Formats: sequence, C-alpha cells, structure tokens
Amino acid sequence: MNQMTDLSTTDTSPMLRVTDLSHRVSLETDTLTILQGVSLEINRGESVAIVGRSGSGKTTLLGLLAGLDTPTEGTVSLDGAQISSLSEDERAKLRASRVGFVFQSFQLLPALSALENVMLPLELAGMEAPEVRAKELLERVGLGERLNHTPRQLSGGEQQRVAIARAFASDPVILFADEPTGNLDNRTGQDVSDLLMALNREQGTTLVMVTHDEHLAARCGRQLHIEAGILTEPELAREQAN
Amino acid sequence: MAAKQKLMSVRRDWRERDVRVVLVALIIAVATVATIALFANQLQRTLVSSASSFLAADRQLEAENGRPVPQEWIEEARGRGLETGQMVEFSTMVFGESGFQLVSVKAVSDEYPLRGEIEIQSGMDDARQIVGAGPGRGEIWVNPRLLRLLELEIGDSLEVGNLELEITSLLIREPDGGFRLSSLAPRVMIHVDDVAGTGVIQDGSRVEYVYLFAGAENVLDDYYQWLEPQMEPSHEWEGVRDGETFSRSLERAERFLLLGGSLAVLLAAVAVAVASRQYALSQRDTVALLKTLGLSSKGIGGLYLRRLALWGIAGMVGGLLVALPLFWILVQLLSDVLEQPVDFYLDPTALVPALFTALVSLFAFAYPPIRRLRHVAAMRVLRSQPGETGREAIPDLIIAILAVFGLVWLYAGEVALVVSLLGGLVILLAVLALLGGLMVAALRRVRGGGNAWRLALVGLYRHRQASMAQMAVFAMTLMLAATLILVRSSLLDDWQAQLPDNAPNHFLINIAPEAVDEVEAFWVERDAPLDTLYPMVRGRLTELNDQPVQEAVTKDERVGALNRELNLTWMAQLPADNEIVEGTWFADGETEGVSVEAELAEQLGLIIGDQLTFTIGSETVTEPITSIRTVQWDSMRPNFYMAFPPGGGLTDMPSTWITSFHLDADNKVALNEFSRRFPTVSVLELDHIIERIQQIVRQVTQAIEAILALILAAALVVMAAVVSATLRDRQREGALLRTLGGQQSLLARSTMLEFALLGFVAGVLGVLAAEAAVYALQVRMFEGSFRWHWQVMLPIPVISALLLAFFGRWQLRPVLSVSPMLLLRRLE
Ligand SMILES: Nc1ncnc2c1ncn2[C@@H]1O[C@H](COP(=O)(O)OP(=O)(O)OP(=O)(O)O)[C@@H](O)[C@H]1O
Ligand SMILES: [Mg+2]
Repeated sequence: MNQMTDLSTTDTSPMLRVTDLSHRVSLETDTLTILQGVSLEINRGESVAIVGRSGSGKTTLLGLLAGLDTPTEGTVSLDGAQISSLSEDERAKLRASRVGFVFQSFQLLPALSALENVMLPLELAGMEAPEVRAKELLERVGLGERLNHTPRQLSGGEQQRVAIARAFASDPVILFADEPTGNLDNRTGQDVSDLLMALNREQGTTLVMVTHDEHLAARCGRQLHIEAGILTEPELAREQAN
Repeated sequence: MAAKQKLMSVRRDWRERDVRVVLVALIIAVATVATIALFANQLQRTLVSSASSFLAADRQLEAENGRPVPQEWIEEARGRGLETGQMVEFSTMVFGESGFQLVSVKAVSDEYPLRGEIEIQSGMDDARQIVGAGPGRGEIWVNPRLLRLLELEIGDSLEVGNLELEITSLLIREPDGGFRLSSLAPRVMIHVDDVAGTGVIQDGSRVEYVYLFAGAENVLDDYYQWLEPQMEPSHEWEGVRDGETFSRSLERAERFLLLGGSLAVLLAAVAVAVASRQYALSQRDTVALLKTLGLSSKGIGGLYLRRLALWGIAGMVGGLLVALPLFWILVQLLSDVLEQPVDFYLDPTALVPALFTALVSLFAFAYPPIRRLRHVAAMRVLRSQPGETGREAIPDLIIAILAVFGLVWLYAGEVALVVSLLGGLVILLAVLALLGGLMVAALRRVRGGGNAWRLALVGLYRHRQASMAQMAVFAMTLMLAATLILVRSSLLDDWQAQLPDNAPNHFLINIAPEAVDEVEAFWVERDAPLDTLYPMVRGRLTELNDQPVQEAVTKDERVGALNRELNLTWMAQLPADNEIVEGTWFADGETEGVSVEAELAEQLGLIIGDQLTFTIGSETVTEPITSIRTVQWDSMRPNFYMAFPPGGGLTDMPSTWITSFHLDADNKVALNEFSRRFPTVSVLELDHIIERIQQIVRQVTQAIEAILALILAAALVVMAAVVSATLRDRQREGALLRTLGGQQSLLARSTMLEFALLGFVAGVLGVLAAEAAVYALQVRMFEGSFRWHWQVMLPIPVISALLLAFFGRWQLRPVLSVSPMLLLRRLE
C-alpha cells in the first residue's frame, strides 16, 4: 500500500462529482446542445477513459470537468470545490494548484526550451526553486539531456514527454489528458502512454483521459462512453463489483 | 486582366496580419517622409520670400571691384524671365546752402525694390508712408539727420557732384538696410540714371555695383549655374541664406526639417524591417508546403520578389494618398499662423526621397529574410525544423545599416547629421548589448514567485530574445523621437533667448561723449532706458607682432576686418552674452591688453600674447592680446571685435558712444523729439527687421511643432507594430498560462509590468543615446552649446513605460476576456 491509498482512505469524498450537467452554445440561428444530463463520480486515484466518436462532446466535457468553462446547467465539484460557484480567478487558482493538463497537440511554447516549458506552471504557482523540480521531472521522462532544446528540435513523442513533465510539475491531484497519443505513431504512443500511466501511479494522481486508442482506454480503471452528448458507462457494474 | 489579378493578390495579402503590418509601415514611411519633404519645401519657399525683402530681391550680385558687370549677364537673366534691378553705392560729399557733409549714396533703378518696401516721410512731423519704388530722376531722398546737419528742409536742393537734386522725401527705412553699422555717413537715395550726371564716379573710386534678381527658385539656381563660371573673385552672389544675421534662424529651421525628415526615414526603415522579418518567419511553413508541391527555390524567390514589388507600389500609392491631404492641412495651418494666404506649392521632386525610402527599406529589409525563405527545407512540412539562429541575419543587418545611412545621407546631404545619428545608434546598440547581457544574467537568478513583479521579471527572461530585439527597436525609436524633442526645445529656447519681446530694436550711434548723460536721461524719462553704452573708436589693425599685418597673415583668405576700419571699444565688464574662450578678462584696474573676437582671431591665427598695433587717426596703439572671446552677433546689441580695458590703450582717443534700447511702437513719436534735441545722433531703427525675424521664428516654431507631432505619431505606430510583431506568441502563451491556472488579474499585471520595465529601460537608453546624438548635432549643426535636458529626459522613460504597458495589456485583451475553454480550442 502506498501512501496515496492511505490518503484516499482518509478522504473518501469523490475527486469529481458531476450532477445533471448540460452544455449548450448559442449559434447564430439556434442553440446547439453539446452535452445533455451528464452525471458521474470519479474517486481519488481512479483512472478514467472517456471514449466516443468525433464531435460527441468529449473535449467539451473534459474542459468543464477541469473548470476551464462553466456548464449551462448542472454542477461540477472538483476536489470538494463547487466549480460553477467560483469566480474565474478562483478557478484559475484551483487549476494552478491541483490540475494538470496534457493535450493532443502538446501545446509547448515554441520560443522556450524544454526546461522553461516545464517551469511555466511552477513559476505561475510561485514556487521557489522551479528549475530543480523541472530538471528532475525532465530526467524522469528521459529528457535529462535535452533540457535546453526548443520544441522544434524535439520529435513529437519527445514533445509530448515534455508536456507530461509539465503536467506533473505542480503536483496536481488530478490530470486531464485530451487524446495524448492522438498525434503519435503506435510505438511512440505506447511509450508515451506507458510514461503517463507510470507517473500517474507514482504520484497517485487521479487521471481523466479522452482517447481513441482502445489499448490505452483499456489500461484505465474505468471507461465512459459518450454519444451525441449523452454519457453511458457499460462497465459500471463490473467496476463497482471490484 | 493581369493587373486585376495583381490587385487581387494585394487584397488577399492584406488579410494576413503580418502583411498588413508591413504595408502600414510602408505607408507611414512614405507618408511621413513625403509630408515632411513637401512641407519643408513649402516652408522654405515661404520663409525665403518673406526674408527676401532683406535683400530687396531674391538674390543680389555684388561687384566690389568698382566696375559694372557685363550687360549680357543682365540680358541673360531677363531672357530667362527673371526680374532685375540695379543699385550703385558710393560715398561722396553733398553740398547744401549752409555746408557740406559726407553721405553714403544709394542710387537705385526704377525696379528697386524687387522685394520689400521703402518707408518715407514727406515732412519731419508727417505720417510715415510705405512706397514701392525709389526716387525719380532729379529727386533725392535723405536721412532726417542730414536735413538737420545741413539745416535744410524738404523742397530745398542739394548738390551731388555736378548735379543739383531736389529733396522730396525723408528716407526712413530701406528694405535692404541690414544691420551693418559701418556706414555712419547719413544715407541719401537717388535715381541710378542720375549717377552719370553727378560725375562723382571716376576710375578708381570706391563704388559698389549691385544687381538685383527675383524669380522662381529653380530659374535663379539655373541662372547662377550659368553665371558662376564667369564671375570674378570680386563678384559676390548673395542669397538670403548667406551672411546676414537672421539667416541663422533660417538655416537652423532648414536643418531641423532635414533632421526631422531623416528621422522619419530611419523610423520608417525600422518599422519595415521589423514587420517584414516577422512576415518572413510566418511564411516558412507556406514555403515548405510550396516546395513539397514542387515549386523550385528560384520560383519561390520570384514569387516573393513580385509580391514585394506589389507591396512597394501599394505602399507608395497609399503613402501619397495620406501625405497629400496632410500636407494640404499643414499649409492651411501655416497660412493661419502667417495671417496671410500661402501659395500651395507642390514640388514633385520632393516626393523622390519618400518613394526611394519605400523601395530601399523594402528591398534592404524585407527582401533578405524573404530571400532566405528559398532555403527552407521541404522537410519542414513533415516536421518542424529548427528556426533561425540569428547569425545568418548579420550580413543582412550590415547591408541594412548601410542602406539606411545611405538613405539619410541622400536625404539630408549632411555628413555631420549621418555621423551623429550613426554614432548615437552605435553607442546605443553597444550599451544595449552590454546591458542586455547583464540583465539576462541577473534575471536568470530570478525564478518563480507568485507575485506580478517576479512573474514580470521571469517573463522578461523567458522572452529574452524577443525582449532584447524589442528593446533595441524601442530604444532606437525613443532615441530618434527624443533627439527631435531635444533639438526642438533647445532651438526654441535659443530663439526665445535671442529675441525676447523686449529685445533692443533701436540703435543710437554717434553720441558725443559730453551728451551721453543727457541722452540717457532723455530715454529714462520716456520709460525706455538704454542698454549699456559703449565708447566707439574707429581704427585699423595695422601690425601684428611688429610686422605689417598684411604680410604677417599668410593665408590669402580675404579678411574683411583687415581692409576696413574696425569698431574698437573699452569696457570694464565682459558683456553677458560674450564668453571667454582663451586667456582671462581684464582684472579690476588692469589697463594693459586687448580682447579679440574669437572668429577673427582664428581667421588671422592670433594667439594670446600677440602684439596688435592699431592705427587710429594719426596715432598708433600697441597692446598684447590677453583674451579671446565669442560674441553673439545676432544679439541686436553693439558688438566689438576689439575691446580694451578702461584707462587702457584707447584712452584719450577721439570716441563717440553707441548703445541699443527697446522702444515700443506706440512710443516711436518720441524719436522725432529726440532727433530735434540731439540732431547729430543717428538713430538706427531695427524694429521692422526684428518683428520680421520674430515672425519667421514663429512660423518656424509652428512648422517644427507640426513635424514633431508627425514624427511622434510615426514613432508610436512603429512601437505598436513592434509589440504586435510578437502578438501571436504572446496570445498563445497567455492562453496556455490561463489554462495552466494563471489568474487573469495576475497575468494582466505581470504582462503590464514586463512591458513597463522594457519600456522604461528602453526609454532611459534612448534618452541617453539621444543626448549623445544631440551633443554631436548641437555642436556641429546648430552651433548651440550643450547642456543636459532633465525636463525632457525624465518624462520619456516614464511615458514609454506607460505606453508599452498599455500596448502589452491591449494585445492580451482577447486572451483575458474569454473562457480558457475557448482559448484551448483556439490553441488546438
Ligand atoms: N464554442 C462552440 N461553439 C460551437 N460549437 C461548439 C463549441 N464547442 C464545441 N462545439 C461543438 O460541439 C461538438 C463537440 O465538440 P467537442 O470538441 O467536445 O468534440 P470531441 O468529442 O472532442 O471531438 P473530437 O474527437 O473530434 O476531438 C462539436 O460538434 C463542436 O463543433
Ligand atoms: Mg476533442
């Protein structure tokens, strides 16, 4: 038993709780319903994959869960905080201290070195010696020799590893990943997902991941299906049995 | 059809932000340079025509050899459509019933004056009249003093040589009177056709033939081109800008305009450079794609070259469309200030520098980075390639710098200006490189930290490359703007100091020593106290260190001061506007020595300790030079080449006294009374000239303000363009930072602080570099003295900090106002 499990046994409230969430955007002529009546709970330390067809609303859901936007209806509570009742700055603070992100297209700043990219969230959080921690993480993802290379000088897989290091930099309690292997070939995707899962396990982070990759989805503790904005959970029964 | 396609493609380009910046920069470049050039041209014409009356013409040709010039010269001028006129000047005795007097005669032709007007009076107490022509044949106009000296009245006759002429008017003011005090004999004016009849002019008489010309500036110039090779050394072609006192104001104004124009050229070049580099970088992916589609390097080069040419045309047309209305507005403003209509004068040649600027900056700045696009690897399409290291841009930089200074040189034609600006910029860049290195090293240690200050510092470090580049551009821009501001204020201060409202505008000459007290009392009673009175002794410099001066001075330069009598004086105190440059001023009670004016000392090669011998009447005086001092010739106060100490060499020499004072227009009637009480004192009325100079200064001041405003606007646009060059990166970073949990307010504050710091440092550097450039300019071009300008220097860094903070905040606006989710979608 590692200490993270201990912690989760002491705090049994779910990491994420979503009730009756709907999201609509108004277009020029009418309104478009992207998500409809979504409810779910994700426990601490769980890893969850969200799968579904393109345009089904996965990214939207992920954004709402992470507090990047507020839903039209319903509530999201993240690590005990009611996201929809927080101001934008309060949500930002929450993200800075407890949330990590990995994106399909890496989202590294091209002008910065790998090291500086990883330091970004640390600096934002006002950490004292961000360089040390950033170096550690880059070494952990196997890029200890490439600290001063800019994203242009790195391959796609290497870039995504930098992004993973960045996501774990601020010790998040929950990590959101939107198709982290979507832009990578099978082998590289495999390496990157191995790394992601390993770090997730080491840090005891809760993981919420959108993916098309069935292998990757299968490696998650739980799978959520989304179709035209409606959530279904085929393996819920089995998960609860466990 | 082809033309239409090209137009379409400019329109398509316009939709790209980077192209817009390049085009806007080009348009501003062409517009500012063209407006300034057009306006400078117009202003010069206006100024010259308002100053022309000082010569009674646009140009004078003086023959000092006592012989008329060949008649063909005059015929040629007429043939070219120039107006001409003639004057003959000489001194002679005139005889009235009760005595005779040496007078200085000016004989004028019917056309005189071609410019300006004559002021006369038909009786001592009559109103003054302005007339446009001189006396007719058989008439003589005389200075009021002569009338009193010879106890004559209007209507009496006066003998000039063999001719008897009737006094028909009092001559009060002639347009080309000038400031010279050398002719102390009263002036009379007659008709030029009467000169022969007087029989006064013999071979070898001291007589000066002066020919007047007026007409279009280019015709005058062409004529002079034709004339110059035939002129003898004793012929002198004089324009308004030569010699005379007020011409300094004109010259400085012209230089200021030149400076303004040159700065506009530089600013424009910087703007085009920044924008086009940004464009080139943004084109790399497109080029890679075109290459994979099979386009050759050559084809790509041609493609972008055609595009540049199109932009050049678009920039020129756009720039002119902005410049022409702007110019029209400035001319309207000018005519408001002058309270008279100004002829709208559009000189197409004034547009050449503007168009040239557009082409050169486009091809020197925009082309090199774009040319390198040919080398972009097709591989880039598949995978990002390393960006430029910046090293390959060094040759471009050198070419660009050469091109810019070539442009400025072409524009201003002033090596001093080019060198000063280049020097200032080089110092600036050197300091910047040094400081930048130090700053980056210092910032490296600042890491993390949740408050806006620390984030701002971290930001500066994170963007160090862009920050340094931006700082260089800001500092240069600010330097250029600050230079202009500094030159402007010192120019205006100088003029203000030179001609305050109560500047002396009348001279009293020839005051007998025993009348000094009475004269002073007269004007004190009338509330117009006199300035310092100086004794004046006329003498010639004859020997230098016991050698005849003509031999001692080896240079065969014509030194006028040697040929004529000098005004010598004695004084205890150094006049406030004089300055000792060598030696020391007379101590109290000192009676030995002489102080020499600096320019004359330089011309004659005089040094401290040289023994000067003066011949005064039949006496000689020898004194060593104890000091050399500068004199403000345009101060409207009596100035002297040679000053002795009281009780020194000049004591006991026959002297008269001279002074200047300010007399208000409504107090001028007192002059009539004064002339009756002190008939032998000459009054020199300079109030018209001074008013005109003040008017010119006002004009020039307005022009300078307008041009300053134009340049500052251009500088602002350049800075905005530079900030927006990194817009995409900044917004991307802002979006990411917000996703990663950066709070809006913190992000906003730290960005503003980061830009404010950048602006402040750039401001300080820019101002310091400006001071360096101004120092050089001031000393070389404006002949002013240098001092620090705290009142200008302090606000500039602060203003630039605020301005950049605002720009920085403004470009983050789209990132700060929407939800991070939308930002994320944009990022993807
Ligand atoms: N702000 C918006 N305005 C209009 N439509 C939107 C907006 N946000 C999302 N959508 C639409 O909502 C739907 C769901 O989008 P979302 O990005 O969540 O899909 P997704 O499941 O992530 O798709 P993919 O697998 O392709 O990434 C899409 O049809 C999208 O066009
Ligand atoms: Mg998606």
